[in-house]
Amino acid sequence: MGVTVLQPYPLPEGKSGAHIMDHLGKRLLSLGASHAGQFLVDCETFISTPQHGTPARAVHVLHNSEYPASTFSIIDNGTGKQVAIVADNIFDLLMLKMTSIFTSKKQTKIESRGARFEYGDFVIKLGSVTMMEHFKGILIEIEYRPCVTLSYCWEMIREMLQGFLGISVAKEYPTYFTTQTIMNAMGQQQLHAKQNDIYEPMDTVKQYLEHFTNYRKHVQLHGSLASSAASISSVMLPSTVGMGRP
Amino acid sequence: MREKKDKEATDSLSLALKNRFLPNLEYLLQGSILDTAVEHLMHRLKGLCDNVDTSPETFHDLEVCMSLRQPNSPQPLLLLRVRRALGRDAPFQLRYLGQPEVDMRRPTLVRSCMDCACTNGILDFLSEMGFRLEFEYIAKGYMFRKGRMKITVSKLIKIVPGKQQDMANEPISQSYIVELSVVAPTGQENVGEEMRVFAEQLKPLVQLEKIDYKRLTNIP
Repeated sequence: MGVTVLQPYPLPEGKSGAHIMDHLGKRLLSLGASHAGQFLVDCETFISTPQHGTPARAVHVLHNSEYPASTFSIIDNGTGKQVAIVADNIFDLLMLKMTSIFTSKKQTKIESRGARFEYGDFVIKLGSVTMMEHFKGILIEIEYRPCVTLSYCWEMIREMLQGFLGISVAKEYPTYFTTQTIMNAMGQQQLHAKQNDIYEPMDTVKQYLEHFTNYRKHVQLHGSLASSAASISSVMLPSTVGMGRP
Repeated sequence: MREKKDKEATDSLSLALKNRFLPNLEYLLQGSILDTAVEHLMHRLKGLCDNVDTSPETFHDLEVCMSLRQPNSPQPLLLLRVRRALGRDAPFQLRYLGQPEVDMRRPTLVRSCMDCACTNGILDFLSEMGFRLEFEYIAKGYMFRKGRMKITVSKLIKIVPGKQQDMANEPISQSYIVELSVVAPTGQENVGEEMRVFAEQLKPLVQLEKIDYKRLTNIP
């Protein structure tokens, strides 16, 4: 367990998602990284039927194949307050008990899946994001395992990202770490910079949720690529070992 | 291989349900014993149960029951219990209990049950979901094991609002509640029989019975 940064990869004009993933995968392998299984992060959102006076609440339920026994859930009460919990997998069954109040928005079920690579102390995951089988974009997850505080290792992560992606990454900490609000002792929300905090698995999940939410809002620009996304894994992956989920 | 890749968490859960290895049924017998006689029962249990060498495991838990209601409906849609160990750092336990089955032929009460460990934000999480506090109490006592059976002898303590918790410890009655339970996957009918036999061995100290909850609610 280390620090993870999630970086969207801009899709160049005229290139398919599968092509880019293939390209990045090959690049990693030629740099000396080794292929180490696959990964999957998925997100399903349940929305409450709004009652008079209370805004609609959204419960996001996420899974991360890196933590196969856990379910991550974040509730957004509609007024900006978020509460996050980590629970056993059984939590998924409990959510199904509430379907008369919290209904699943199946059409916004979104996931990022792809290949997982290891390179020394780094774990790199190339994820292709799909919503209802439609390709949405590429998310690259990079984890530096020996450290738990972003401020100590951001430069190294950044260098690694720039090195194999071939794009420039801003010097500033990623926005997720600088724009978090927390509740202070007076019950007011205030800005809190997270780069010096101890990193937790929940932070990875929250970063995914942030990006997933953006993709959901985003007008579907790459609809034509949907079919190619489905074939990504079979094109570039020699094996599917180590998915981790029993 | 393709099949493995496509599997998601909910799929593996439904698989667990289908193949009957998800423990989701609770078999339960309950009884009570007066404070004055509880020592005898403890001795009997120490002799009968697995953990003979060690003293019984103690627990001190706060249980909070939360309900989710639909507007204009008197019956709560869902009740969830959150249990938290007091004085020990452990994950919170979230528990769902279904309606007890009314099958008279079964030797024990049977109800569906889901246990789920959570991080400590769960109460706040449930409140934001719209759950409201139904009741809460403290359970303090001892736990024994016999094979897969769990036996608890616990004192239920009322929480008086507005007071320091230690000051307000007020036992609900002058007796201990004794519970014998097993959480097992569906289709394991012999569990009930196993429990009935064990309950026999605790007689006449304590009479473990299948409690009819419907009857209790009718008491004015």
